[in-house]
Amino acid sequence: MGTQVKDVVIKPEAPNTLLLDKHADYIAAYGSKKDDYEYTLSEYLRMSGIYWGLTVMDLMGQLSRMNREEIIEFIKSCQHDCGGISASTGHDPHLLYTLSAVQILSLYDSINVIDVDKVVDYVKGLQQEDGSFAGDKWGEIDTRFSFCAVATLALLGKLDVINMDKAVGFVLSCMNFDGGFGCRPGSESHAGQIYCCTGFLSITGQLHQVNADLLGWWLCERQLPSGGLNGRPEKLPDVCYSWWVLASLKIIGRIHWIDKAKLRSFILACQDEETGGFADRPGDMVSSLWNLSHTILHMHIYFACDFSRTCHSLYRAYHSLRYILASVIYFHPGGSFPHSVWCGWSVFAGR
Amino acid sequence: MHGRVKVKSTAQQEEEKRKEREKKLKAFVSARDAVLRKRSAGEHDEEALQLTQQLLSSNPDFATLWNYRREVLLQLETSREKDEVQKLYESELHFIEACLKVNPKSYGCWHHRSWVNTRLPQPDWTRELGLCDRCLSLDERNFHCWDYRRVVVKESGVSVEQELQFTDRLIGSNFSNYSSWHYRSTLLPQLHPQPIHSHRVCEEQLLKEYELAHNAFFTDPNDQSAWFYYRWLLGRGVCVCIFNCLCQLCDLPPGSVSDISNEHNLTVHWTEKYTHRDCALYTGEHRERRSVACVCVCGRSELSVEKSSVLQAELQSCNQLLELEPQNKWCLLTIILLMRALDPLGHEKETLAHFQTLKEVDPMRSSYYSDLCSKFLIENTILKMEYAEVRVFSLSNKNLTTLCHLDQLLLVTHINLSSNQLLRLPPQFAMLQCLEVLEADDNAIESLEGLYHLPKLEEVSLRNNQICKLSDLESLASCTKLTRLDLRGNPVHKTANIDSELSQLLPLVTALSL
Repeated sequence: MGTQVKDVVIKPEAPNTLLLDKHADYIAAYGSKKDDYEYTLSEYLRMSGIYWGLTVMDLMGQLSRMNREEIIEFIKSCQHDCGGISASTGHDPHLLYTLSAVQILSLYDSINVIDVDKVVDYVKGLQQEDGSFAGDKWGEIDTRFSFCAVATLALLGKLDVINMDKAVGFVLSCMNFDGGFGCRPGSESHAGQIYCCTGFLSITGQLHQVNADLLGWWLCERQLPSGGLNGRPEKLPDVCYSWWVLASLKIIGRIHWIDKAKLRSFILACQDEETGGFADRPGDMVSSLWNLSHTILHMHIYFACDFSRTCHSLYRAYHSLRYILASVIYFHPGGSFPHSVWCGWSVFAGR
Repeated sequence: MHGRVKVKSTAQQEEEKRKEREKKLKAFVSARDAVLRKRSAGEHDEEALQLTQQLLSSNPDFATLWNYRREVLLQLETSREKDEVQKLYESELHFIEACLKVNPKSYGCWHHRSWVNTRLPQPDWTRELGLCDRCLSLDERNFHCWDYRRVVVKESGVSVEQELQFTDRLIGSNFSNYSSWHYRSTLLPQLHPQPIHSHRVCEEQLLKEYELAHNAFFTDPNDQSAWFYYRWLLGRGVCVCIFNCLCQLCDLPPGSVSDISNEHNLTVHWTEKYTHRDCALYTGEHRERRSVACVCVCGRSELSVEKSSVLQAELQSCNQLLELEPQNKWCLLTIILLMRALDPLGHEKETLAHFQTLKEVDPMRSSYYSDLCSKFLIENTILKMEYAEVRVFSLSNKNLTTLCHLDQLLLVTHINLSSNQLLRLPPQFAMLQCLEVLEADDNAIESLEGLYHLPKLEEVSLRNNQICKLSDLESLASCTKLTRLDLRGNPVHKTANIDSELSQLLPLVTALSL
């Protein structure tokens, strides 16, 4: 009797060291594979893909291998008249890719190559009556977009243009019985949405509204016997959830509730020794940029000291990511207590 | 690509695969280019629908194509009669359903379907509900479908009772259904609200829910969904009441308290929340021309007799289950929560023993259990402190890994946290405005961030901790009454010229031990 726990088994011959060079080569070569099937099919999220790749290269100290000028020109060509930015040329603007573009330009200290005021107008224009944000003019509502909106505006120093109270109210209305958050009010808790909502609340100085102990428990229960993390109960572990879950835990100050060593060995086992990159779980096909970037970001957050060869570049990465990584000490009026707030920086693009 | 197993293949198979992909790629690129060309040319016709249909069937995440499709449909609407529009969009629904069969988790597909329903002259919500039923029968955890179902239910006026019964059926047929339990949690407050706090569930219904969850995890003790739900039930009506203590520091207008004695008992009314509590009022020292008073409000709502007996029965059942499954962490944790709901002080010993077992059977979450145990010990100590009406907080040698509820310790004058596993005195420590003596020897404290602007703090003992740098002690400079400081057994003593550096940093400290 009894439900079998959905999980994977890590084979003894799985990789157990971080193959940084392979990963760097994988990404450096990625952009050149323009005739690659998966590369072409993922054009609809190109802007985010570029962002993930750049962040990872920067963390590994190899940002210079990427073509900065080409990328900046590409971004310029993706800004539409409405101010919004698309994933690629010929595609329609959307909040997801507007954020990714702003993140990339922040990384490259080149935000003014686009019309910033128009971006701000675009974001502001997507806020709805109830405080929520649509992804674009077609009206899909999702807490992911609330995160994209405030993250974009925070990077541009323009958080004041939106109705903050309502924006916060909407996100809080998506809080569930388990302390987690879903896409819309009534939606089930999901690690990706939780990342977006805790990130949102962090940026807007409202983390105290989260029940950190309850949510932290739900999040640490994502860790399975294999050491990997799933995105919600009764699901298989996936390396990308290392990021969503771990970043959320970091934001709410409970990252120590995960077993670090076991997670590390799970992630290392996901590496593809031949091609570089990470599969979503040991033995699966490598899932290009998505997993690699999420994994490296995760490793950065949690295992900084393990990057023994790249320790210096990590500190450089911190410095270069200063626009993206906002560490805010927030004091409540009335002199109660300060919060130490950390903003995550990734984007949850349509899965 | 998620969920595709990597299979090593021969060189020939590799070559065949490569050729196949090249072919697919060419077809995709040419179709994509044709579509985008048409769009640039402003063409909104049937051909556009056909081309986008081809592409979207296997690439439903190509969002721009859905946008184009919507533009075409809107354009076609303008030249058609109502019944033709109805047909147009009904056929669109067929197309979307075909896409969903290939990819039931595409945000683009589901959103487009919602959009189509806003354009349909006569939406058929019964059909939509049927689609949801079918989709959920294939994958009960498809949150896109659940979200869509919520829209359908709202538009079509399906009652909350019916939906509750729907969850009953799903839960009854497959216990491992977190999505159903979640849905239930949102339906209950709508159907059985509490009189004043309408977002909460009334007690009668809550007690019935215990039984539902109880049956689920008794049938399958590893069904985590039911245990999560159960914890929510416990928290909903009960845990909120376990600990309902509020401390406020406020200034009273001068002359408002004429009595000389140090304590007053009074009743404070909160007009906003229609509630009142009996409080004790402590008069602090005069500071300039204001009297600063501390008002301590304590309250612990009692369990109703009915609830108490239900929880007692639940505790008994869970204990029986534990005998059958002594390694079941869900059961152990739930027993702890039930004991806290019923009698936190009375069950303290058992609680500690269960936490020990929990760390053994579920070692990955040891840190969580340690922190939770620390929290409960702190709560118990606060309760004991209240009952004894003293202002000394002592929790030494209790494996404390974290501090919390510091906002409840506003009146504490002496605090002893020695021989624990604390790593820091967090920022909230600064709330202990009445603190005079701090003992925190034999921990692993690196950070003293919370020890700042404590106006009454005179003596601090931090022997055998991990204070490494002079800068770690900077916050102490703002504690102007601090005269005794014991830092023996900390790495900071190795700092060059530490004695003189410290006397510069903390000139008021007269008794310094390094």
